[in-house]
Amino acid sequence: MRWWSRSSLRSRIFVAFSALILTVLLATLGSIQLVVGHQAVRTLGRDLRTTGQVFETMLKERAARLQTNSTLLAGDFALKRVFATHFDPDSYDSDTLASAGLSYRQRAGVQLVWMTDEAGTMLAASPASTRIGQSLAALPPLRQALDGQAAATAIVEVDHKLFQIVAVPVFGPDVIGYLMLGQAIDDSVAALLKQDTHSDVTFLTTARVYASSWSTADRDPLLAALSQPSEDPGTTQQSTQLVEIRGERFLSLVLPVSAHLSLPLHALVQGSYDKALAPLHALQRQIAAVGAVGLLLALMTGIVLSGNMTGPVRSLVAAMHHVLRGNLHHRTHIEGSDELRFLGRSFNEMAAGLEDRERIKATFGRFVSRDVAEAVLSGRIPLAGERLEVSILFQDIRGFTALSEQLEPARLLGLLNQFFTEAVAAVEAEGGMVKQFTGDGVMALFGAPQAQADHAERAVCAALGMVARLADLNAVLRSQGAPSLRIGIGIHTGEVVAGLIGPDERVEYGVVGEAVNLASRIEALTKELAAVILVSNEVATRLGPQFVLGRSALLSVKGRGQPVRVVEVLARSAVEPARSPG
Amino acid sequence: MCRHVLPTLFLVLLGLPLEVRAAVPAVTGSVTGIDGKGIAGAVVFVQAPAAAPGRDRPGQVVDQVQKTFLPGLLPIVVGTSVRFPNHDQIHHHVYSFSPAKTFELPLYKGEAAPAVLFDKVGVVKIGCNIHDWMSGIILVLPSTHFAVTDAEGRFVLEDLPSGAYTLAAWHELSKVKPEDTSQSVQVGKDPAAVSFRLPLSAARPRPAMHGARAEP
Repeated sequence: MRWWSRSSLRSRIFVAFSALILTVLLATLGSIQLVVGHQAVRTLGRDLRTTGQVFETMLKERAARLQTNSTLLAGDFALKRVFATHFDPDSYDSDTLASAGLSYRQRAGVQLVWMTDEAGTMLAASPASTRIGQSLAALPPLRQALDGQAAATAIVEVDHKLFQIVAVPVFGPDVIGYLMLGQAIDDSVAALLKQDTHSDVTFLTTARVYASSWSTADRDPLLAALSQPSEDPGTTQQSTQLVEIRGERFLSLVLPVSAHLSLPLHALVQGSYDKALAPLHALQRQIAAVGAVGLLLALMTGIVLSGNMTGPVRSLVAAMHHVLRGNLHHRTHIEGSDELRFLGRSFNEMAAGLEDRERIKATFGRFVSRDVAEAVLSGRIPLAGERLEVSILFQDIRGFTALSEQLEPARLLGLLNQFFTEAVAAVEAEGGMVKQFTGDGVMALFGAPQAQADHAERAVCAALGMVARLADLNAVLRSQGAPSLRIGIGIHTGEVVAGLIGPDERVEYGVVGEAVNLASRIEALTKELAAVILVSNEVATRLGPQFVLGRSALLSVKGRGQPVRVVEVLARSAVEPARSPG
Repeated sequence: MCRHVLPTLFLVLLGLPLEVRAAVPAVTGSVTGIDGKGIAGAVVFVQAPAAAPGRDRPGQVVDQVQKTFLPGLLPIVVGTSVRFPNHDQIHHHVYSFSPAKTFELPLYKGEAAPAVLFDKVGVVKIGCNIHDWMSGIILVLPSTHFAVTDAEGRFVLEDLPSGAYTLAAWHELSKVKPEDTSQSVQVGKDPAAVSFRLPLSAARPRPAMHGARAEP
């Protein structure tokens, strides 16, 4: 999950795509394995059971054929005659009987011919047997034949080989003996079954393998297969299991065979599990191959798609970084008509907005208080240019030229900056805007860009503030042995044109008009009148009673036809009437 | 079915002359099984003293009619010749592998086969090589005095001079040899009574006849 949260969008889309396709592919393969595999095993199991049925039928047919052959042979008069010789010890001819047995063996195409007397004692055998003269009465199928004096069949072990033996009575006209024919159940029988059914067949007990379609070398796992406990005890004889022979897996079915052995005889029927599943595996390989190609194509599509999608996103991220670093000129170029292009355009608009904002901020920030700047930026103040009535304040340091010659430049600038700091603070304290520094002076605006009804009073208050602050500053300067500063301030209220002025890169908020010039002239008059604060009559008439006014004079001003009345402002009384804010 | 009918028929035929002659019964009795039920078709005969061999014994006949030996059981005294006429329209091949008399009358019709002399006491089982189901017994006895039990297992021995005799009983399915059944009996003016009890084995299956007689 940590990787996921840290990885790029592109990687996530890519991985999600791949995981989805892989899941679908694996699910498909899994279901095929489940359905087809199950079907294949079921078909194989059915084949094995069919083989079992074929085998059972074959055993029955063989028994029937054996019985028919035996009955036919037993009816042979010559045989009866030879059989009957045993009644008379003088004429009994065992050699003749044995050679007759050989003849019958060939006639009937069987591997074993035994002859007994009517009580079951062996008279002759082909091939030769050590049981001559011994009673076979207890041996199936002769036991059943003796009991019923009728034909009987059984599977028995003779000299470690498996035989299907039939015993039939020889009538002459009563039972004068028994003829037994035996057919071996050997490898050739298993091979024949395999040829017919394509299943491997083995006849075995838990102790030994009697016959098998397997070569002798491959028979060891067969006994193990039989001794393995069945998974389901209820269906012991019908359940299948897997046995590995020479690295190949075989589905094995154990069928009981009715026989007379010391251990139960079984037929082990086997079909190749791997071969049965081969078509499934081929199918799976094909699906896997098609799936792999599909996966590859899908991944490539995924890469292209995620690239298409994340490309613009990365472009946006890069642009963001530019903006973060302060490069507001950067723009993204996202093609197309989808949401991403819209996003890019929005980003560009945002960046443009930020840039405008920054430029305006730069324009105003230096001259107006934060509140004013915010008001301008929020659009509450129009900047396109308008006629406004404002109060303009000009301030100047007296005797600055002499001072500049007297002081080291660093000391001079230090003094200036100390003073300007106080001056700006005084202006901003009254909501004014420091418009410009004039070397040794300050120009400030009141009533623009933020409209203020009492801009005249504010301007006068700011002037009084400057004077007061200068007094404090001078006290400090005197303690440092520095010369005191003296200032003159002129204020006029009049109509101006206000707005953004200047070429694009250096545009500034400013005011132009006669009122500005007049304010400057009034400031210059402070020297003549030896006043600190002089205001025009337009200002004085706007002042409340709390302001203490001094001398008044009608003076001619350069560039003005008519003389201008100026009034000296001395102070403001302590009782301050309520003033509307802003 | 046939097996029961034929001996009965035979017994009836055999009994007729006895009734006509109205001979004096010397020994009467019965042959029963272990369960006490009378056994039909058993033969009771005088074992000793044995009859002297005679050359002029009348010949006997085992006929072949409809692929069946008739009678199925023929008791004879030793030294008797038996003819096997064939009254079917087909050939028969009569044989016996019995130690008491081994003989063979290869394929013949009518009266073509010579008579066979039975010169040894014992059971002679006869068959036909061509027809597996044809089976008969010729019981060769040491004496001329014998009787076959009726359906109830009763027998009557007649014309037996006074004296001491040893009697024995035989049956095809008897588990006991005749010599082991022998009983002594004193024959006087009054009829003597003798009972035999024979344990029988179960009837043995034989090649079936299944309507074979209807075919040629």
